[in-house]
Amino acid sequence: MNEEDPDAELLARIDGREPGAVREMVTRKLPRLLALATRMLGDRDEASDVAQEVFVRIWKQASRWQRGQARFDTWLHRVALNLCYDRLRRRQEVNLGDDLPEPVDQAPLPEDQLDESARSERIAAALAALPARQREALVLQYYQELSNVEAAAVMGITVDALESLLSRARRTLRSRLAGERGEQVFGKERR
Amino acid sequence: MTPERFRRLTEAYGAMPEHWPLAERAEAKALLAQHDPAVLAALAEARSLDLVLSRHDVAAPESDLIRRILASAPSASLRQAPSWKRPNWWISGAGLVGVGVAGIAAGVLAISLTAPFSGSGATPPSLFDQTGESTVFSNASDWSDQ
Repeated sequence: MNEEDPDAELLARIDGREPGAVREMVTRKLPRLLALATRMLGDRDEASDVAQEVFVRIWKQASRWQRGQARFDTWLHRVALNLCYDRLRRRQEVNLGDDLPEPVDQAPLPEDQLDESARSERIAAALAALPARQREALVLQYYQELSNVEAAAVMGITVDALESLLSRARRTLRSRLAGERGEQVFGKERR
Repeated sequence: MTPERFRRLTEAYGAMPEHWPLAERAEAKALLAQHDPAVLAALAEARSLDLVLSRHDVAAPESDLIRRILASAPSASLRQAPSWKRPNWWISGAGLVGVGVAGIAAGVLAISLTAPFSGSGATPPSLFDQTGESTVFSNASDWSDQ
């Protein structure tokens, strides 16, 4: 890896016990980690617990991190996802295959009742209903904005396999969200 | 890039060029610039799903969570360097030593001024000897008339 890891310097500052470095790491990483865990787990409290656990690992890792290895952010995503999967397994909700999950409640709502919050909840439900690996691929690529190479590395798969998971995830979401009268969720585009 | 590849690209990565694989981004943009109806349709379809996905918000971290995470960092006491490494240590140490030296110096001065000189013929007056006729100042030359 030729590129300098953008987090390496901050890790060194944490290891050097520089005042403010810990807080800077929290500011830099917590929102992304919390968003990742929330979208993977669909549960805010559990996501918060995962985020907290990830930071415990960060503090331990700071003194051992070696430049030139995997990017810190990639490692961070992998740790967070492992913790998410631990919880999903405990819930016995993991579906690594392509079996269709239980359908979510798709009762249509009148357009004027479907406010932003309700839309967000509908999308969260649709995400939660995806097979876990499809959800993971979509969350990493779309929401976390990892490149295809980074997302594939985090997932431990090839770029082609990632692309396949992404296509299936988006196809499933499209049909599921359109199934609740697509005009409600898809119809009013913000132009 | 073929229109078919463009469709597969947008089906996987969506409509935003910054989400497309870096290696194919330029070709995809070039194809888009040709305004092929099939390409534009694929883009529009991907964009509609992107818009839906963008409406899924995650609230910012609560202050309580931030506090808990900060508290989980190595504690403030452990985060301090050992006392002998702290930069201010030598200042306080030097201060103590300085006070001690000053005290000793004052004592020595007082003794030297009050005790009689040994080995000299004349006994020098003491600074605190107010009973004698002379003091340390009384032997000094009188320059008052100069």
